[in-house]
Amino acid sequence: MGDSTQNILICGIGGQGVVLAGKIISHAAFESGMDIKTSEVHGMSQRGGSVSTHIRFGKKIFSPLIPKNGATAILSFDIYETLRYSDKFANINTIIVSSNDGKTPAWTSKTKNGTIKNNFTDIYSIASVLKDNFKSLTLLDDKLIAENLGNIKVSNIILIGALSVFTHIKEEIWLKTIETNVPEKTIDLNINAFMKGRDSL
Amino acid sequence: MLLLFLSVKYAFIYYNSLVFPLFFYSSYLILLYKIYNANNKYGLNFLLNKTSDYSKLLLTGNEAIALGGAKAGVYTAVGYPGTPSSEILPYLSKLNSSAIVNWSINEKTALEIAIGTSIGYKRAMFTTKHVGLNVASDPLMTLALTGVRGGLVVVTADDPGMHSSQNEQDNRLYSKFAKIPMLEPSDSQECLDFTSKAFDVSEEFDTPVILRTTTRISHSRSVAVFSGKFPPAEELENTKNIYRKDIEKFVMVPVYARKRHKTALERLKRLIDFSNGSGLNSIEYNDKEFGIITSGISYQYAKEIAPFASFLKLSFSYPLPDLLIKDFVKNVKDIVIIEELEPFIQNEIASFGIELKGKEYFPQDGEFNPDIVLSGLQKAGFFNGKKHIAKENDADKDFRISLRNTLPPRFPALCSGCPHTSVFYALKKLKVPVMGDIGCYTLGALPPLNAMDSCISMGLAFGAAQGLSLTKSSHKKTVGILGDSTFFHSGITSLIDAKYNNAKFTAIILDNSTTAMTGGQDHPGTGKNLSSNQLISNKIDIKKIIEGIGIEEIFVIDPYDYNDTFKTLKKALDSNNLNAVITDRPCVLYPKKIDTGRKFKISDGCTGCDLCMQTGCPSIRLPYEKNGAVNPVPFIDSSCIGCSICRDICVFNFIEEISQS
Repeated sequence: MGDSTQNILICGIGGQGVVLAGKIISHAAFESGMDIKTSEVHGMSQRGGSVSTHIRFGKKIFSPLIPKNGATAILSFDIYETLRYSDKFANINTIIVSSNDGKTPAWTSKTKNGTIKNNFTDIYSIASVLKDNFKSLTLLDDKLIAENLGNIKVSNIILIGALSVFTHIKEEIWLKTIETNVPEKTIDLNINAFMKGRDSL
Repeated sequence: MLLLFLSVKYAFIYYNSLVFPLFFYSSYLILLYKIYNANNKYGLNFLLNKTSDYSKLLLTGNEAIALGGAKAGVYTAVGYPGTPSSEILPYLSKLNSSAIVNWSINEKTALEIAIGTSIGYKRAMFTTKHVGLNVASDPLMTLALTGVRGGLVVVTADDPGMHSSQNEQDNRLYSKFAKIPMLEPSDSQECLDFTSKAFDVSEEFDTPVILRTTTRISHSRSVAVFSGKFPPAEELENTKNIYRKDIEKFVMVPVYARKRHKTALERLKRLIDFSNGSGLNSIEYNDKEFGIITSGISYQYAKEIAPFASFLKLSFSYPLPDLLIKDFVKNVKDIVIIEELEPFIQNEIASFGIELKGKEYFPQDGEFNPDIVLSGLQKAGFFNGKKHIAKENDADKDFRISLRNTLPPRFPALCSGCPHTSVFYALKKLKVPVMGDIGCYTLGALPPLNAMDSCISMGLAFGAAQGLSLTKSSHKKTVGILGDSTFFHSGITSLIDAKYNNAKFTAIILDNSTTAMTGGQDHPGTGKNLSSNQLISNKIDIKKIIEGIGIEEIFVIDPYDYNDTFKTLKKALDSNNLNAVITDRPCVLYPKKIDTGRKFKISDGCTGCDLCMQTGCPSIRLPYEKNGAVNPVPFIDSSCIGCSICRDICVFNFIEEISQS
């Protein structure tokens, strides 16, 4: 956990593209010539469960897992998961880039008298809790930006673009990495989305 | 498929950036990219063969194992999919290594294919998750006596913490149980190197070798340098070894097996010498007051937390290097053993008469992480006094977030449009005892479906259904339920047994034409395999198998038609015979993502009765108002793929199709 080591945690819901985002970010870090380790989740959790990918890069990395409260940055595709993982991995200095939207866990439902099971926290109060706790918090309306670009699927790339500002990785490496990791037909769209995210801050 | 494609491309597109100036490097990357796209299948091979002497890659442990196998000239690679081992064979099949790479019907058959290959003087690799080795343990135990001809490596990927498993057994114990040597890599470079090494050890010592990884090794990426080439096809195909019999080696009747047991014991002694002297196990002396003996991923956590300590790193972890251990104990003052799960190393060392501490400070269950290792080392006194300071995490004393407990947990769930949904919804309404099995459909046991009562082992369902029905402890007819891949894996035998023993239950086979939970692998019912995307044999027809068993009542249903599904299940349960229900709808994820194109909405007037939400469909959600108030009327979001199950379930007809003209 030397000073120069970056610990990036990506979180979201299984099937949302957390693994692909992890690939792009780790690829970019690797291209920059740093030692790197990542840890991914496969299998059961990919079925809509809460998932995370750990990425650590720097001079020399041993553990592929980020220690408790040790994330330098968190990238999240769902605001509920932002809260869940911030609680465990963030500290007050952690940079958080998150979607401002979230998906209620599917099985959560009402009881017969109309009240909601669980002491449920809605996305607006989650946003205010996050604002109270973190100096560097970015909540992006990634879905809206993506829609304006004409494809809701690039919302992840927009968030990666926003996160990229906080890394020491050069812009050209990011762009090259995106080129090699997305389908050829969508390269322009994804590059566009990345730059939109990067310029949004 | 896309993910696989991306991961393969991703892993190999990296090239040592130091070798080329940036401008050249950029154009080189683009060139590689073009080559890859121009020749999808052989792009990797081209890259590897062209740059034969040096490639720096960012690989998962599983990718590295596949690469190591290809480099070692593996001739046959077989297995049954199981997290976290599933990606090894698909990855190997993408490398143009001349290897025959295929999924088998189950782990036992896979290992037996590997054994046959070895008897034929060729190198064989068998991959499995930890519990899969139980299935293959019958041939494994005796294979340890016969030994091998061609090198034979058993790759077992354990799952401490049970990310995607029903138990967290420690397969290191198999090495001791079967007297088979074991290698434990701690990162992707070692996965690559040790896989090749394992084949050499196998042949040198005439023994199968276990390569044991864990989830954090298999699914972590780290930098690995690949050098060398894959052996050319001619070398693999050489036929200088003509098949000959050797019954004293391969026919394990008592008279020969007794001799081979002695051979295995004698081999173990030679392996201890190898363990001491091969360099795979190594000592790093630092501060001689603090010593750590460890292996696998625990080594990485320990290096992170206590870099000042002296280390005995065990890579060849069975049989253990007794001399090295004695040396380490002599030279270092305070020693702890860090190992996930069982006190395997600790007990082995104790058997040398050396009592060291380990499990006194570290848990025997669950997966480790840097924090657990830190806390264990603190307990062991590594950070007492001023000499070494534990690395405190950033100043988070003022850190106030602690809302995690108020967040609802987000369990994995059946996908939007998953064909299993309607079956479990119907079973829940029918309130019958359901003996379940292992696959995506195990999620039917979770809320809100709550419609599966057991999940213990692959292929359990029909056996347990027979046993439970015999007890008459429920007045309702028992159901056994499993998926198509599990049916082939080990459900068939139990169904034959049920017919043979005149059992009375309803067998449900959820046929979605893939092995879904592990990522969509093929099986006999798909008629395809890794070696070819084309149909290579006739699909083996589940209905015909069941007919062949002699079960007369067989219902084939479309689970997207909920009303028919419910009616048919009720009919099957009302009949007192052993009967079978087969669902016929493909998985919505594999082999390709399905969207029916139909759209549904919840219309005005819905009172929020909750019925549709009881399907657990991730597309049906409760909205939140800006002020935080909950709107009790659910809505269907854009992730809906139009399966129409919820429309049939809404008894008030408030779910309607949106006409798209």
